[in-house]
Amino acid sequence: MPETGMSEAISAAAADVLETMFFSPVMAEAALDEAMSAPALAARLRFSGGREGTFAVRISTSAAESMAANFLGEETEQPASGQVQDVVCELTNMLCGSVLSRLDSKAHFDLGHPELVDALEAATPDSVSRAFELGDGAVAVFLHLDAKP
Amino acid sequence: MAYSVMIVDDSQSMRKFVRRVMDLSGFEVGSCWDAANGADALALLRTHPVDIILTDINMPEMNGEEFVAELERQDVYRSIPVVVVSTDATENRIRRMIEIGARGYVVKPFSPEALRGELERVLGVANA
Ligand SMILES: [Mg+2]
Repeated sequence: MPETGMSEAISAAAADVLETMFFSPVMAEAALDEAMSAPALAARLRFSGGREGTFAVRISTSAAESMAANFLGEETEQPASGQVQDVVCELTNMLCGSVLSRLDSKAHFDLGHPELVDALEAATPDSVSRAFELGDGAVAVFLHLDAKP
Repeated sequence: MAYSVMIVDDSQSMRKFVRRVMDLSGFEVGSCWDAANGADALALLRTHPVDIILTDINMPEMNGEEFVAELERQDVYRSIPVVVVSTDATENRIRRMIEIGARGYVVKPFSPEALRGELERVLGVANA
């Protein structure tokens, strides 16, 4: 699968998911180094089916908190850390589903359960990555396809 | 008219979000129940019959596919329309869920209008 196609699918999925579900429009593409510098939360899942691989999301804690508040409709209260983690996992799930459906809508994919990981572990080697500025922090997305058996 | 609804998703945040988006869309919700997987939903349905069920696919214990198949097997539940709400937009998955008994399918991410449109289509509500 060409890397440009994967990159474009990630960008399109991020714009769609972040704006539609989290009311957090992407301000701009961000440099990965910048997106990796702030304290962050991360989640990762394995997928199988048409292609196998790993999908991970790393999001700065500040962006995750405001995104969770948007998602849950909490205007006054700060969401609890467990809720923020649940929202980050759900974000990972939705982004992954959206990216894979864009890459091949005729394939069949099974998504594993997203798990929280150490923010430093989100970036798997050899993954295609994109980062996006959200205004109050950045989100980075990593897609790794396993070699075909 | 207000509908009684059951939302089935392993993410509590997603259940809350779906409920909120139904309200935002103007879809009238009377009572609303929620469950974290198909097994919990079946237990709840025994005492709380509903007009429509919204279910995720990827859930522990009993996933959405097993849940829809089980509803289809039981006479008392077969008539309750089920709308799948999933991140999976692949054609095979959508076809499979409809084949085993789901009446509608909404892909996450979805807008309030898209959710309401699908719920009303499935419930056979005439456009105002
Ligand atoms: Mg799920």
